Amino acid sequence: MTGSFLLGFLILFPFVAAFIAWAIPSHGLRGAWVWITAAAMAIASIVFLLVTKGAYAPDLPNSESAGILIGILDLLLLLFFLYVGIRAKSWVITILTLVQLFPFVWLEWMSGRHPAVSPTFIADPLAIIMVLVISIVGSVICIYATRYMVEHEEHLHLGKSRQRRFMFYMILFLGAMNGLVLSNNLLWIYFFWEVTTFVCYQLILHDLTPIAVTNAQRALWMNLIGGVAFVAALIIADVSFETLSLRTIATEHPRELAILFPVFLLALAGFAKAAQVPFHGWLLGAMVAPTPVSALLHSSTMVKAGAYLVLRLAPAFHATPFSIVVAVFGGFVLLMTAVMALGQSNAKKVLAYSTIGNLGLIILCAGINTPLAISAGIILVIFHAISKAILFMTVGAIENRIGSRDIEDMEGLCNVAPMLTGVLVIGVLSMIAPPFGVLIGKWAALEAGTGVMSRWSFVVILLLALGSSVTVVFWLKWLARVLCAVPETETCKPTPLPAAYNVSLWGMVFLLCILSAVAAPLVTGLVVPAVDSWYNAKTSIGMTTNWGLTLDNGFVPILYFVVIGLVFLVAPALTIRVQRERVKPVYMCGENIEYKTSWHGLADGTFDLAVGGSYFSRDIGEEKLNMWAIYLGLGALVFALAMTLMMFQI
Amino acid sequence: MSILRTSRIKSPWLLHFDSGSCNGCDIEVLACLTPLYDIERFGIVNQGNPKHADILLVTGSGNPRNARVLKNLYNQMPDPKVVVAIGACGCSGGIFRDAFNTLGGIDNIIPVDVYVPGCASRPEAIIDGVVKALGKLAEKGAAMDRKKVPQEAKV
Amino acid sequence: MGIGMTMAVAVATLVLAPIVAGVLNGIDRRFTARLQGRVGPPLAQPFYDVIKLLGKELIVVNRLQLIWAWGFFGFAAASLVLLILGGDLLVVVFSVGFAAVCLALGALSVKSPYSYLGGIRELWQMLSYEPILLASVVGIYLAKGSFLVDVILKDSWPLIAQLPLVFIALLLVLTIKMRKSPFDISTSHHAHQEIVKGVTTEYSGPYLALIELGHWYELMFMLTLIALFWANPIWIGILIALICFLLEMIVDVTWARMTWRWMLRVSLAVGLALVGVNLAILTFFNG
Repeated sequence: MTGSFLLGFLILFPFVAAFIAWAIPSHGLRGAWVWITAAAMAIASIVFLLVTKGAYAPDLPNSESAGILIGILDLLLLLFFLYVGIRAKSWVITILTLVQLFPFVWLEWMSGRHPAVSPTFIADPLAIIMVLVISIVGSVICIYATRYMVEHEEHLHLGKSRQRRFMFYMILFLGAMNGLVLSNNLLWIYFFWEVTTFVCYQLILHDLTPIAVTNAQRALWMNLIGGVAFVAALIIADVSFETLSLRTIATEHPRELAILFPVFLLALAGFAKAAQVPFHGWLLGAMVAPTPVSALLHSSTMVKAGAYLVLRLAPAFHATPFSIVVAVFGGFVLLMTAVMALGQSNAKKVLAYSTIGNLGLIILCAGINTPLAISAGIILVIFHAISKAILFMTVGAIENRIGSRDIEDMEGLCNVAPMLTGVLVIGVLSMIAPPFGVLIGKWAALEAGTGVMSRWSFVVILLLALGSSVTVVFWLKWLARVLCAVPETETCKPTPLPAAYNVSLWGMVFLLCILSAVAAPLVTGLVVPAVDSWYNAKTSIGMTTNWGLTLDNGFVPILYFVVIGLVFLVAPALTIRVQRERVKPVYMCGENIEYKTSWHGLADGTFDLAVGGSYFSRDIGEEKLNMWAIYLGLGALVFALAMTLMMFQI
Repeated sequence: MSILRTSRIKSPWLLHFDSGSCNGCDIEVLACLTPLYDIERFGIVNQGNPKHADILLVTGSGNPRNARVLKNLYNQMPDPKVVVAIGACGCSGGIFRDAFNTLGGIDNIIPVDVYVPGCASRPEAIIDGVVKALGKLAEKGAAMDRKKVPQEAKV
Repeated sequence: MGIGMTMAVAVATLVLAPIVAGVLNGIDRRFTARLQGRVGPPLAQPFYDVIKLLGKELIVVNRLQLIWAWGFFGFAAASLVLLILGGDLLVVVFSVGFAAVCLALGALSVKSPYSYLGGIRELWQMLSYEPILLASVVGIYLAKGSFLVDVILKDSWPLIAQLPLVFIALLLVLTIKMRKSPFDISTSHHAHQEIVKGVTTEYSGPYLALIELGHWYELMFMLTLIALFWANPIWIGILIALICFLLEMIVDVTWARMTWRWMLRVSLAVGLALVGVNLAILTFFNG
C-alpha cells in the first residue's frame, strides 16, 4: 500500500462511496455499506499514518489536468450558489457569489498565470492528524447517523425517506475534508473549501422546514464572505507573491509584513468557516439540522478547517503585531461565547457556543504563536473533535428518547436513561476535567500564554483564565439538571441502546479515554513533530516526558490523574451499591411525603418540588449580548484589516 | 472504641424543633447558644439539618400536624441519636394536656430519651438534660456498633 | 528524589495535612469564640467532630452524591500532594479546580431545594475565584520563569515582592475557599440556615466526614500556596500564611455574609483587576 494510493483513496473513495450509498435503495444494505465505508476510511487513515510516518509530500504527476478539472467543478459550484441566490431572491448570496465568481474566473482562465505549485499534497504530521480525526471521528458519526436518521424520520412521520440524500452528503463531505487538509495548492484548498460550504448548505436544509431553509441560506452567505476573502487572498498571493502554495505563503516569508494582508484574508475565511464572532450566527442557526450534521460538520471537522487554516498560517505572522491581535480576538471569542452559553437552555445551542469558544481558543493558540502554543492548538483540535462528537451524538440520542433538546426537559435524566446520562457526563467532564485532552490543551495554552512576545500578553492571559472559568459554569449547570436525581428507592434499569449508538458512543468514549491516557506519547509522537516540521523548531513540552510520569525533574504527571480518577471516581461509580434501608428522603423541613419530592403544604394539599435552571436571560440572554458580540467582533476584524492593509502598502 | 465514644460525647450536634410550643422553651434553648451559656464549649452546634444532627431537642406538646413533621425529622436523623423533650409541654403536654388537638407529650410521637421539666425550662436545666443525653448517646452508639441495626420511629 | 522518597513524602503529606488543618480549625473556632466574647470549644474539637461523623450510621439519598464526594476528597488530597512534591503549579490548580467541580456536582446530583441552591452558588463561587487563581499562577511564571514549585523554592527573591497585588487577590480566594464571611455563600460552618447547609445538606455521617477532610486538604493547599510567596526561607512564608489565616478569622467575625452577585462583582472587578494590573506591570516592563 503505497502512500500515494492511500492518499488518493482517502480523498476520492468517499466521493465514490457517497454515490454508491445514494444508489442503494434498501435501508439495511445502505447501512451496511456505511459501516463498510467507515471501517475502510478509519483503517486507511491509520495505515496512511504508519506508512508515511508524517513525511510525505508528493507531487501529483498530472496536476495540470487535475487542476483544470477542479477549476471546472469549482465554477459549477459557484454557479449553483448563484442559482440558489437567485431562486431564493437573496441579494446577499447573489452578490457574494458574483464577487467571487468573476475574480475566480479571471484568475483561473483569463489571467494567464499558472504558477506551479509543488508539492501538490503535503502529508505532514498535522495533515495526518486532521485526516485521522476526519476519517475516524467522521466515520463513527456516519455510523451513528444510520440509526439516528431512522428515528428522526419516524419522529417527523416522513412518508418518503430522504436518508439516501443525507448519507450521500455526509460521506462525500469526508472526502472533501481530506482533500482540504492534504492539499498544498491554494486553489485546490479553495475548491474543497467551497465543497464543504455546499455540503453544509445541503445538509442544513435537509428537513426542508422553513426555518431550515432560512438558516441554510444564512450559513451560505456567511461562508461566502469567507469565500470572497479567500479569492481575494488567492489573487493577491498570485499577483504580488507569485505563488499559490500554502507552504510558501505560510513558512517561506517570515517577518515579511506585506504578506500579512493575504494571510489576514485567508484567516478571515477561516474565521467565517469557524463561525467566530461576528459570524457565529450561522452556526447557531445550523443547529436546526439533524444532529449527525451538527456532530460532523459543526463541531468535529468542517469548522475545524477554519481553525486548521489559521494554525497553518501561524508561521507567517509569527513575531508580528498581527499575532497578538489574533490571540486577543480568539480570547474575546472564547469569553463572549462562554457568557452567551450561560444564558442558553437549548442543549444544541450550548454545544454550538462551546464549539465556537473552543475554536476561538485554538485561534488564540495560533495567535500566541510559540511552538508550545501551536502544540496546544493541535491537541485541542484532536480532543475537542472527539469530545464534541460524543456530546452531539448523545444529545441527539437523548432528543430522540425524550422528544426535546431543552436542558430543562432533561431533568433527572439519570433516572430515565442512565446509559445516555453516563455518556453525557463523561462527555461534559472531558471538556473541563483532567486528565482528558481538552484540559491538557487548555493547560498547554495557559503555559504558552506566558511566552507571548508582546506587552499585551496579560490581556490574553486574563481572557483565557476568565473564559475557561466561565465554560466550567455552563457545563456544570447542564449537568446539574441532568443529574438531578430523586432518592434512590429503586434501582434504575438501563435500557439497551441500539447497536449503532453503542458502537459510536461507547467507541468514541473508549477512544477518548485511551487517547487521554496516552496523551504524553501521543503528543511526543504526533503533535510535536507536526509543529517541528511546519515551524522548523525543536519543541519540548514538559508534561510529556516518560509518559508524563516523571517527578524527578519536577514535571507534573498527567498519568497520575488517570489513576486518581480511576480510584476516586470510576471505582466508586462501579462498586457503590446503595442498600434500600439506608435511603432517606431529601430534607424539605420535614414536610416531605415519604420518599417523594412532594410535600404537604397549604391546607394540607400536596405540592411537588420544582427545581429549575438559572439562565439570567434578562442580563446575559442571547438577544442582549448578540449585538454587542457582533459590534465588538466586527470592530476587531476591521482593526486587523486596517493594520494588515497598511503593512501591505508598505 | 473509646476514642469513638469520647468523640460522640464531645461533639453532639443539635437539631431543634418546635412542635407547638409557645416559644418560651425555644427562647431558653436559643439562650444556651449565646455567649452567656456558650454551649459550643461542649462542642455543641445547632445544625438545623437532621442529617447532621445527633440530638433532637423538641419543645411543645405535639399535635397531629407536626407529629408528621417530627417523625420525618426523626427518621432522617442517622444513628446514634437521642431525643430530649424540653419543657412541661414536651414531657407530658403541660397545661395543654387535655386540649383536643395536642398529643400530650413528645413520647406519644417518637421515643424520648431525656425529659427536661420546667415551664419554661431554664438554660441550666436544658444543658443538664443535654449532658445526660450524651451519656445515652454513647450507650446507643456502643450498642449500634455491636449490632449494626438501624432504628426506626414507632409509627 | 527517588521513588521511595517520593512515596514517603506523599504519605507524610496525606497523614500530616489533616492533622495540621484540624488543629488550625480548632484554633479558628476558639479564636472566633474569644472574639465573640465566648469561651469556645477545645482545640481538638474538629477531630472529635470528624471521628464522631465517621461513627454515624450511613444514610444516603442516592449513589451519585457518594461518588462525587469520593472524587472531591481524592482530588483535593492529590492536589496537595502534588503541590508538596514540587509539581507544575498550573496543573495542580486545575486539579484543585476539579475537586471543587466534584463537590458542586455532589450537591447538584440530588433533587433537593437547599442542596441545589447551594450547588449553584458553589458554581458562582468557582467563577469568582478560578480566574484569579489561574491568572495568579501565570503571574508566578512571569515573575519566576517557571511553573515548577522547585524553582520557586530555590529563588532568593520572594514572590511577594514581584506579585504584591496578586497576593492580595489570593487572600480573596482564600476567603472564598475557607468559606468565611463575606463569601460563605454556598455553605459554612456557622448557623447560616437560609439554605440550611447548602452543598452539604444531603450528606451525613461518614460522607460528611469525607467532605470535611477534603475541605481540610483544600485549606492546606491554599495556605501552602500562600506560603510560597516567601519561599526562601520558607518559615517566613509559613508565618505569613498563618498571619493570613488569623486575618481571615477576624474578617469572618467582623463581616456579614453578602450575596453571590456581590461576591462575583467584587472578585472579578477588584480581584481580577488587581491580578491584571500586576501582570500588566510584569509584561509591559519585561516583554
